[in-house]
Amino acid sequence: MPGFNRKGILVLALIAVLALLAVPLGAQDMEETEFIIAHPGPIRTLDAPVTWFISTHWLANLLYDCLIWRTVDGSGYVGQAAESWENVDDTTWRFNLRPGNTFHNGEPLDAAAVKWNIDRVRTREDFMVQPQWVDVAEVIVVDETTVDIKTVGPTPYFEFIVSFNGCELLPPGYVEEVGDEAFSRAPIGSGPYVLSEFTESDRYVFEAWDDYWGGRPEIDRVIYQVIPEQSAQLAALLAGQVDMVSNVPAVELPGLEAAEDIVLTKETAAVMQHIYLRVDTTAGNMAETYPDFEPATLDLNVRQAISHAIDRDLLAEVHGAAVPRLGRICPHFPEGGADSFNNPETVTAHYDPDLARSLLADAGYADGGPTVYFDTPTVSRGGNEKEVAEVVSAMLEEVGFDVELNVLDPAAFGEQINSPGNNRDMMMVTLGCSVPLVPLFYRCVWPAAHHDVCVEEWDEVSNAILSEMNSETRLELWGQWWDYWFGVLQNVTLYEVQANIAYSSDFDFTPRKDGWYTFRENLKLAGDDM
Amino acid sequence: MQQFIATRIFQGLITLIIVSFLAFFLVRLKGDPVDITAPPTFNEDQKQRLRELWGFDKPLAEQYVIFVTRAVTGDFGIAYLSKRPAMELVIERLGATWLLAGVASLIGLSVALPLGIISSLNRNSFFDLGSTMLASIGTAMPSFWLGLMMIIFFSVRLRLLPAFGARDPSAIIMPSLTMGVGMAAYLSRLTRSAMLEVLNEDYVRTAYSKGLITRTVVFRHAMKNALIPIMTVFGLQLGWLLGGSVVVESVFSWPGLGRLMIDSIGVRDNTVVQAALLFFSLSFISINIVIDILYAVIDPRIRFD
Repeated sequence: MPGFNRKGILVLALIAVLALLAVPLGAQDMEETEFIIAHPGPIRTLDAPVTWFISTHWLANLLYDCLIWRTVDGSGYVGQAAESWENVDDTTWRFNLRPGNTFHNGEPLDAAAVKWNIDRVRTREDFMVQPQWVDVAEVIVVDETTVDIKTVGPTPYFEFIVSFNGCELLPPGYVEEVGDEAFSRAPIGSGPYVLSEFTESDRYVFEAWDDYWGGRPEIDRVIYQVIPEQSAQLAALLAGQVDMVSNVPAVELPGLEAAEDIVLTKETAAVMQHIYLRVDTTAGNMAETYPDFEPATLDLNVRQAISHAIDRDLLAEVHGAAVPRLGRICPHFPEGGADSFNNPETVTAHYDPDLARSLLADAGYADGGPTVYFDTPTVSRGGNEKEVAEVVSAMLEEVGFDVELNVLDPAAFGEQINSPGNNRDMMMVTLGCSVPLVPLFYRCVWPAAHHDVCVEEWDEVSNAILSEMNSETRLELWGQWWDYWFGVLQNVTLYEVQANIAYSSDFDFTPRKDGWYTFRENLKLAGDDM
Repeated sequence: MQQFIATRIFQGLITLIIVSFLAFFLVRLKGDPVDITAPPTFNEDQKQRLRELWGFDKPLAEQYVIFVTRAVTGDFGIAYLSKRPAMELVIERLGATWLLAGVASLIGLSVALPLGIISSLNRNSFFDLGSTMLASIGTAMPSFWLGLMMIIFFSVRLRLLPAFGARDPSAIIMPSLTMGVGMAAYLSRLTRSAMLEVLNEDYVRTAYSKGLITRTVVFRHAMKNALIPIMTVFGLQLGWLLGGSVVVESVFSWPGLGRLMIDSIGVRDNTVVQAALLFFSLSFISINIVIDILYAVIDPRIRFD
């Protein structure tokens, strides 16, 4: 070969081999990782503070940073836009922001931007999350990276508020430039992902942002794909076209267990299933709808009989993904002192049909009765409500109740029973179980008190919990709170709802304890360190 | 002809006014949108402010007049949740729904017409019996079930087609087949009976006796007369496809108007529901006017005046 000696040919050959090796290696480096979750419903806006729909905030969490954020295991908080924070005094929370942090468009994320955001969310009455922020009295810019938030009074659970719905930080300059409507279509945040596509009721695509303060996320692209039908979601998972289905019905689990490339896991949905009992006739509009009706559940003995007649272990089996509970708070929350009521032995021992019969006899129903009206939706947030209600009815009839079970379509249930507070004796309700939210429900000023009772002493305890900064004193108050809970027995807790999650074995995933399907440090490629 | 078209358009407008009335009042039967849209943390004052903001504090008759006045200019109001004009959301989805209905209709027609014609020409033959059986199956099969079975077979087992969405061009195959099967089944039976009726007419016998070949007799003489009832039903079916695609759009996560409407009903986004309902009606009315005009094109004996 003219012009080439043997050595030259050898070098060329070596270069060619290296080049051949380098191509697939380079191609592998270039291959983008994509994660698709099947999402049941549409997301209407990503101007997150506008809406209180939780699933909107799942997506928003990829796009936006908040000041701080709840940890995956639910035990505390981590900094996002704020690298540290402290409770300066009973009514002042100081947040130290990350220096040099910016939004995706380069706009600085400084103290002024934080003030603009919190003032916006607490003053805009057309924002659904606004009531959550009424405890904020003032936001003070101390310097470029320090902001003080003053609360109206002592607010021990302020960290929860500041990391909950509406906490998302928006770029003030951009919002003011384009206006709310245009912003909702092309939102910009400072989170680990940039929104690259937003097709309502179809899909929402997020691309990793190179300049995120915590480093570029490992998964290059996260897609929320709207697939309304549950069976279609599972088919897409089995076909390898989506990577996660977040709420698999228990009956579908055996079919998925056989699939080699699918991982099944179970985690709390952070909601509890309850039966609301009518304890007075003034709340809601029951008195107008049924003016002459005298609920049997006005008698505490009857309410206690209901609670003891229910075998929660069996109900959890009927539900298919539930853990029997007695208390109102999910055990993974570090405060609230509900552990003693929620351990399996206590829950199992609470089931006592003989005691239920005896309580009914004490209430004057030794010879049978009373008749109780029990309303339930076919299905709601808790899942399998109808089936569970049927079993509860059978358990109650076993100890002497005469149950009139009324199964309604979810919309009709909301219209006729739940929202106007039309329940006569009993109704199925699914409620959030986080510590800071629970006392709100039992205050006399609770706006949704259409089916709640107002017990002034209990109200005082609830208010005290919500304003006591000392954690030990607060724990004592929680002890009193539980006395009212079981003493009034307005709710009978049945179980903590869990979600069956199925996802591709290509990924390692740690479900969040708050039941949110949002992906940051809890999602990696399989085999990488979480 | 012009007078006929003017009359049909006038009738269409009357129908639209009735639909607008029904759309407006029926969506309100579902209750107060504020109750479902507002979070439990909203008190009555805050809910009232929201009602004022959205105009629900005004008397219903006044709300209706405002709605109609704006709707005439294409303004159906702002969607409560997305804060975008309802009309914009509807137009965004219209294309996907029309595409699906169009392809499904093509499938329906291209299967139904040959099947019906061949069956009528070979009455009581094995082919006729077979096509009758297929048509019965096609009519009886719920589209929801057929759609899921197709997903399981083509997406899960064979991994050939996308199970959802409208991104990939091949994504239209399963939803359009699902919708087209029902149409094909119904139209093939109708084509068969319409053709049988025409094939027994004197002029067809005359055509045969003149020595014309079957193809000429069928397509030039018989088919033209048989087409009138087929077109009438096709128009109705196409309208049904536009409105009835809700189920198929849900199964295949097809981002069409039906899905938008269902989602909006769920959250009582009345502005979007009203806009979508009026668009469904408008499409249905327009299709039927076009079909009426086509009668005269196909059969010159038809005179509208």
